Amino acid sequence: MEMLYHQFKRRVFGMAHRIVGPNDAEEVAQEVFVRVFRGLAAFRGDSALSTWIYRLTVNASLSHLARRGRRQEVSDESLAEVAAPPETTRDPGLASRIEAALQTLPPGYRAILVLHDVEGLSHEECASILECRVGTCKSQLHKARARMRELLGPIGERS
Amino acid sequence: MICEDARAKLTAYLDGELEGDRGSAIRGHLRGCEMCRNLATDEAALRDGLRALPPLDPPHSLWTNIQHRLAAEEVADSDRPAWRRALARFAARWRPLAPQFALGSAALAAAVFVLALRYRASEPAGTTFAMPALPPIQQQVATAPTTIDGDVTAELAADTARKTASYRQAAEELVSFAVAKRDSWTDDRKAVFDGKLASFRKDAAAAPTERARDKIYRQMRTYLQDVAIRDVVTANDRKLAGTRGAP
Repeated sequence: MEMLYHQFKRRVFGMAHRIVGPNDAEEVAQEVFVRVFRGLAAFRGDSALSTWIYRLTVNASLSHLARRGRRQEVSDESLAEVAAPPETTRDPGLASRIEAALQTLPPGYRAILVLHDVEGLSHEECASILECRVGTCKSQLHKARARMRELLGPIGERS
Repeated sequence: MICEDARAKLTAYLDGELEGDRGSAIRGHLRGCEMCRNLATDEAALRDGLRALPPLDPPHSLWTNIQHRLAAEEVADSDRPAWRRALARFAARWRPLAPQFALGSAALAAAVFVLALRYRASEPAGTTFAMPALPPIQQQVATAPTTIDGDVTAELAADTARKTASYRQAAEELVSFAVAKRDSWTDDRKAVFDGKLASFRKDAAAAPTERARDKIYRQMRTYLQDVAIRDVVTANDRKLAGTRGAP
């Protein structure tokens, strides 16, 4: 049991952290692992164990957000945090701006970005975790990245 | 290729999903269009930035808290009746078939509704019965602790106390309902009721533990529910005699 925890703790906690935010990440990760350990005997192996655990994580995170009733409006404060930097080349604070911008996205966009871009899962795996079609997954990712680009402003090196 | 088409395929192109002439067409467009090229550069930087985000280590307390919660869940399992645990197992096993069950249930509900309408149409007028309104039972919503620090047994004892208070409140509300109906009872029934009530109260006051008190209030609530149901059945029987019994 402990081995399984150590194998998945970073990914589960990281995903929860980036979907629900830093304050509730531990609570969600805790819930996920309790569900994993209690449901392990009933796990039927329809999908890979990792896919099942990530699905539990995404579902627990999205349910947590829905329960919390968090409004997804972008506050002025959070916009200020992610506003474009004065220079567009070599941005040392990009990671923290990306993390802040992630928190202002709608939960569905956040989930697909975390699964595909942060965790590096394939579209097929993302579709299996989010229980949607591969095409839907691709289109959500496209929209999510476009939204992030809008929030972050120019970040790439101009030729 | 126009900008709109190129932008729609930009994500797929940057992720290497467009091969051959489709990829080449996008590349060709990007060579000639500065705006789209800037968008592509931004999206590539964003994608690389997301991929480069550092892994996050959970706090050390996470594993301890998980173990506490698992222990609490196991203790809760031991308190749960066997039929409820069996029901939970059954639900977990058949959850994937929920859509089919939902369809079947909807069809069954529709069939029952149609049959009920037909039965109602064949009933003579004036035979509808209404349940008397019971006083609302206020439920105490116990707030489960999100984290368990220290002794788990202390948390469980507090939970038992909350349950006892809830049973007690329900029992007291049922007592007030019974008292309202008391005038229509026979003297024998009144005597039995008073004796039972006094006995429950005495036992509850003398209960050595919170758990024993919890059990007594649960029994008291069940007894009072039976009393209330008896009143309702008697009232309906009278009504039935009044509507159908007359020649």
